[in-house]
Amino acid sequence: MLAAVENKSASVEAKPVLRVEGLKAYYQMNYFGVRREVRAVDDVSLTIKRNEIYGIAGESSSGKSSLIKTIAGAITPPLRVVEGSVKFDFGGKELDVYAQRPAMKAARWKHLSYVMQGSMNVLNPVRKVKHAFHDFAFKHMGLSEGEFRARVESHLQRIGLDPRVLESYPHQLSGGMRQRLTIGLATVCEPEFIIADEPTTALDVLVQQDVLALIKGVQQRMGSSIIFVTHDMTVHAAIADRIGIVYAGRLVEEGPTLDVFQRPQHPYTAHLIASLPRIGDTRKRVALGGKPPNLADPPSGCRFHPRCPLAVDKCKSENPALLPRNSGRVACWRAGEVEAA
Amino acid sequence: MFKILRDLLRYNIEFTIGFILTLAIFLFALAHFWAPMPDTAIYLLPPDMPPSAEYWFGTTSRGQDVLWQMSSAIWNTMLFGLSVTILSRLFAVAVGMISGYLGGKWDEFLMTINDTMIALPNIPILLLVYFVMRDQMSWPVLALTAALLGWNYDARLIRSVTLSLRNREFTRHAVFAGMSVPQILVRQHLPYVMPVIFFTAMNNLIWAIGLEVTLSVLGFSDINRPTIGGMIYWANQHQAIIAGIWWWIAFPIIAVVLLFLGLFLLAISVNEYIDPRSRLSRMGA
Repeated sequence: MLAAVENKSASVEAKPVLRVEGLKAYYQMNYFGVRREVRAVDDVSLTIKRNEIYGIAGESSSGKSSLIKTIAGAITPPLRVVEGSVKFDFGGKELDVYAQRPAMKAARWKHLSYVMQGSMNVLNPVRKVKHAFHDFAFKHMGLSEGEFRARVESHLQRIGLDPRVLESYPHQLSGGMRQRLTIGLATVCEPEFIIADEPTTALDVLVQQDVLALIKGVQQRMGSSIIFVTHDMTVHAAIADRIGIVYAGRLVEEGPTLDVFQRPQHPYTAHLIASLPRIGDTRKRVALGGKPPNLADPPSGCRFHPRCPLAVDKCKSENPALLPRNSGRVACWRAGEVEAA
Repeated sequence: MFKILRDLLRYNIEFTIGFILTLAIFLFALAHFWAPMPDTAIYLLPPDMPPSAEYWFGTTSRGQDVLWQMSSAIWNTMLFGLSVTILSRLFAVAVGMISGYLGGKWDEFLMTINDTMIALPNIPILLLVYFVMRDQMSWPVLALTAALLGWNYDARLIRSVTLSLRNREFTRHAVFAGMSVPQILVRQHLPYVMPVIFFTAMNNLIWAIGLEVTLSVLGFSDINRPTIGGMIYWANQHQAIIAGIWWWIAFPIIAVVLLFLGLFLLAISVNEYIDPRSRLSRMGA
């Protein structure tokens, strides 16, 4: 698995295509006078460069999906942006997701596409596949009906699908074909930025391999950037250029995939990576004690301190900032002191 | 379209029987355009003649041929039923889908109206409308009134389907890809709601015909215009049962029962027209 990391190409251009600054997005609920606030995205800053694949890892309910939903501008109440900004750079034109809503709406799917969670069900079960392409992409491409159809067919051929699938209903296709179609749908406009939420979770390992290769191939051909979320670390190892580790709504560590896997700086990352099985390694995997914190009432200071084997008094009272360290960034008072098990 | 019809006729016995029954009754009703006498004329023929070679279904006490009266009556009754169905489907789809998809204040507003309508009894309202309108009461007005009373249960049903669609992935993607609310409702959700519309349309048609018969039997409609209920109304006025003129009352009842049966069989099999999966499974594919 780590061999895959070492094969990674380092051809990442420097110019950022996405800049997230101090982003805070909370679920704010008010039921019968009781206010509840769930801090799903808490002060996250990150940049993604052109032609880069950025993976976001973290456990369930750590706020991964909320984070990329917020980045995509696809949030609905009760999730609201409280602070911070999300700015895209499409062909030199800067777009602020939450300040320029009409321009953002026009850019969606053309420049920015989004593969949502449960993406096998993106296709409407009672309509033929061709209608999905027409509904989602036609008006963004400015082509005539005939040209559009030809473009869609050649696009499908390139991702290894017979154009005849356009005439079928989703239930006539296999899960892998539907997943391919979903990715085809997200990439047919050749967007500069693709957001993918668990694009491979429902697939078995063989189809997963196939789909990952497809994503990677499409990304390399179009030179676009991808941000994707999954809790499956092997998927990150296989395709991400850089990964960010999210814990309890905060970005706790970020860095080039190889460095994060080989020299994790944050104790949480270290445990996450130590939990992965390796061929030939017969040691028993040790689980981390405790459970993910309740985001409606997060622990004080560093949110990881109740479960952290290295926690000191400072961790309980002060929240560590995400600071540069080695090739990446890490938010920990005792960064780098952990011994990867 | 023709292929679907052919498959349905071949593989679905309920549909075949319902289709043949409804088609036969429709052709019979269509024949009234070639009737030898106007359908509102009375005392043209010898009254109270039993069924014979000359008058197949006999004649009424008012000197009308039961055969041609029935032909016009079924036509008018079906016309009324179809008008009510189409109008009430429009209301039900609009209210149900808007309420289900938009939610919030719109949902509360529309569903308050809807639930109020459900709570109100239909027949007393129709009688009230009839007594207020009296001479202005024509069949289109009656159809509109019935349509305004006949959409509310189905609007609830359609709302529930749309509610389940609102949070599906394909809806969220469509919103993200920039489809407007009317586009999402018409292109993404309407095909899903279509079987519900079809099925409720058939039930609504049967309900509307029943309603028309009920009101006409009681005389609360334009009694000079022949309808199934109107025929029974006149038969009762002339005490046909007591006088032994059974054919005046029996044939309209047989006709309306056959029409109901045909429509019911179509209703239970029409879902297969719209849902390719259940059609395929019946064909053994």
